[in-house]
Amino acid sequence: MMRSVIHQLLGLRLSGGCGVTLTQVRDKGHLSRPRLRNPQWFLRKEVTRYDDHLTTENKQFVNELGGVNFGVPAIKKDVQENLIKTKDAATNEVTWTPGLRRCGLIARKIGQYPLWLKNGERIRTTLLQIADNHVIKYIPPEEYLPAQPPKVHNLKKRGCILVGSESTNPALLTKEYTGIFRDSGVGPKKNLARFIVSPEAELVPGTPLNVNHFGVGDFVDVRGKTVDHGFQGVVKRHGFKGMPASHGVTKTHRRAGNIGGGGEKGRVWPGTKMPGHMGNRWRIIKGLRVWRINTKYNVMWVQGSSVPGPTGGLVYIYDTILPLRKNKEAPPFPTFFGELQQTSDDVWYEKVHDFKNGSITYENE
Amino acid sequence: MSAATKLHKTSWCALRQLQQYRTNANFSASIAKRNDLFNQEQRRQRDAVGRIDKIEVRYLGLPEDVTLVMNSNISTPFNCAQHLSEGHCKRSALALVDGSVPWDMHRPLQESCTLQLLNFHVSEPHVVNKAFWRTCSFMLGAALNRAFKPEANLQLHSFPGPNIKSGSFVHDIVLQTQTWQPSKEEMRAISAEMVKLSAQDLRIERLDVQQDLAQEMFKDSKYKSEQLPSIAQQTNGRVTLYRIGDHIDISRGPMVGSTGFLGKCTISAAYNVAAEGPAGAFYRIQGVALPSGFQLNHVAFGILEERSKKPSPARLPNEPFEEQQQLQLS
Repeated sequence: MMRSVIHQLLGLRLSGGCGVTLTQVRDKGHLSRPRLRNPQWFLRKEVTRYDDHLTTENKQFVNELGGVNFGVPAIKKDVQENLIKTKDAATNEVTWTPGLRRCGLIARKIGQYPLWLKNGERIRTTLLQIADNHVIKYIPPEEYLPAQPPKVHNLKKRGCILVGSESTNPALLTKEYTGIFRDSGVGPKKNLARFIVSPEAELVPGTPLNVNHFGVGDFVDVRGKTVDHGFQGVVKRHGFKGMPASHGVTKTHRRAGNIGGGGEKGRVWPGTKMPGHMGNRWRIIKGLRVWRINTKYNVMWVQGSSVPGPTGGLVYIYDTILPLRKNKEAPPFPTFFGELQQTSDDVWYEKVHDFKNGSITYENE
Repeated sequence: MSAATKLHKTSWCALRQLQQYRTNANFSASIAKRNDLFNQEQRRQRDAVGRIDKIEVRYLGLPEDVTLVMNSNISTPFNCAQHLSEGHCKRSALALVDGSVPWDMHRPLQESCTLQLLNFHVSEPHVVNKAFWRTCSFMLGAALNRAFKPEANLQLHSFPGPNIKSGSFVHDIVLQTQTWQPSKEEMRAISAEMVKLSAQDLRIERLDVQQDLAQEMFKDSKYKSEQLPSIAQQTNGRVTLYRIGDHIDISRGPMVGSTGFLGKCTISAAYNVAAEGPAGAFYRIQGVALPSGFQLNHVAFGILEERSKKPSPARLPNEPFEEQQQLQLS
C-alpha cells in the first residue's frame, strides 16, 4: 500500500513540471578481495566491546580480583635477594662472546630533540621509550619452527624470546590471547615481538627489560613501520626533479616524463619508478648510536631523525649487525639485572654535553 | 487444544524420542520403558480432563494487563504467552501465579488466577534464578548420562536444592570406581554436553504421578527407588517428575521452560565425597552457568568458575535424609 502511495506522489511531481532528480551513487560496484590472509594459528586479540551490565560494585570487585595491575609501567631498578629457587638462567650471567646474539626491546618513538656534543656540535636525536617490557616466553632452538621464518643467519641454532610491552586490561582481550601470558607471570600485553637469540641468551619468562639493556655509546638497529604517505607522485616518492613551473611548460610540472627507451626491448621495464603507494613499510635503520639514557622513564636518545614511523609509533630495537659498530666489550648479557652505578637518572655518553654542567666555552686562540 | 493438534503433538513427540533413541549411545531398555510409562501417563491425564472448563487468567505485566479465557487443566502459561506475542514466549522462563506461586511454563493451570510471566531481566529475579539453578542441576544429570561411558556404570543419585550463594549447582552421582580424577578434557566434555542440550532447546515437561507409578518407572534405579517413599510422604503420595528428551528425574520443581535458557556453562569440579560399596564411590559434580542473553567477559566469568570449584556446602548424598533440611533447602 505504501509503495503505491509513493508512486502516486512521484507521479504528481512529474506532472507538476519540476524534473525528477535521481542521485547517482557511483561506487566501484564490488567488494574488495581481502588482501591480508592470516595464518591458521593467528589469534584474535581484541574482544568485541559490549556492555557487561555489571553493577559498579561488581566492576570494582572484578578489577581487584581478576584484572592485573596495568597503568604506569613497572621499572625494576634494584635487585632483591632471591629466597625462592629460580631457574639458573635468571641469576647466572653468562660470559659474553662477540658471536652471541641477545634479546631486543620494544619501544615507542616519543619525539625528537637536539643534543650538543662537547665540541659544540649540535646533533639531532630521537627519543625512544621502553614501556613496560617483559619477557613472555623463551622457545629453545629445537622447538622453534616458525611458520614465517625471519631472515636471520643460522636460525636453526637460535632460540626465540617473546617480549611483550604495555600491559592492558585482560577483559578487553580474548581468552585465547590472554592465555599466551598465563605461564609468564605477568599480565597480558598490547604488543608482542619475537627476538631471535642465541641459546646462551635465554631469559626466564617474567623478566623485566629496562633501557639499561643497552649502554650509552652502543649502536642499535631500529625497525619500524614507515609513515604512511598514501598514494604519492614520483616527485615525492622517488625524488624526481619534475619540470619548470613556467616558461611555456604545458601541463607537465610534477610528472615522470620519459619512462623508457625504444629498440629491441621497447617496453616499460619492470621496476620502473612510477607514482604509487608510499610508506607503511617495515624498514630497519642500522647503526644508530645511543647518546643518552634516562633510567627513571626508560628513555633512550638515538642518533638522527630517521627512525621509521610517526611519533607514538612502535619500534623494535636490536643490537646492531654492522660489523664496525658492533660491541667490542661485553654488554649486559643476557640482560641488565643489577643496580645502577650512578646516582642520577640520566646517563650521558662521554662525548655529549650534560645540560646540568656549565655552558661550553671556547678558549681564545 | 483441538484433536488435530493433539494428535500432531503426540506423533511429533514420539518421532523426536525415536530420533533420540537412535542417537543416544547410552540407550537402554529401562530408559525406554520409563519414557513409555511417562508418555502413557501424560496421555491418560490429558484424556482424564473430560469436559473442558473455562478459566479466566488475568495477565499482569507488559505491554498491558489483559484477561485471557483459557481451558482449565489444559492451558499452560506458555499458551497464555502465545496469546501475547512471540517475544513473551521466547523470553519467559517461569510464571508466577497469584503473585506468589512459581509455576512451570508448560504446567496446566487449574483455576482462575492472576499470571505474571517472569524473565531473567525482572527487577526481583530471585524466584526465576532459583528455578534456573535447579534446571542446571537437572540438565547436568542428563549431560552426565550422555557423557559417561557404559563401563563407568553411572548411577544418578540426586541433586540438592538450589543455593546460588554457594557459587555452584550440584549433582551427586555414583560411579563404579573410587579413583576417578577428572582431567581437563573430561570436564570440558561434560560442559560441551550441557551446551549441546541447550542448543537443542528441549522443552522441560512436568508430570505429577502417583507413588506406585513412579516406583514402577524407577524400579531399575537403586537410589531413586530408595528416595521415592520419603519424597512421596512429603507431598501426599504424589511425585513430580521432569523430562528433557529421554532423561527423566524427580524434583520438587519448578524448572524453567526449556533448556534453551542455558547460556554460558562450565562444569568446574568433581569431588569424591564418600565410598559406596566395595568398589564404588559417591561423586559430586559442580558447575556454574549464566542464562542465555547475558554477556560477561572471560575475566569475570573466570572468577565465577574459580568460586564454583569450592566444595559446595549442600547436604552430601550419603548423609541421612532429614526432612526438615530438605524442606528448608528447596
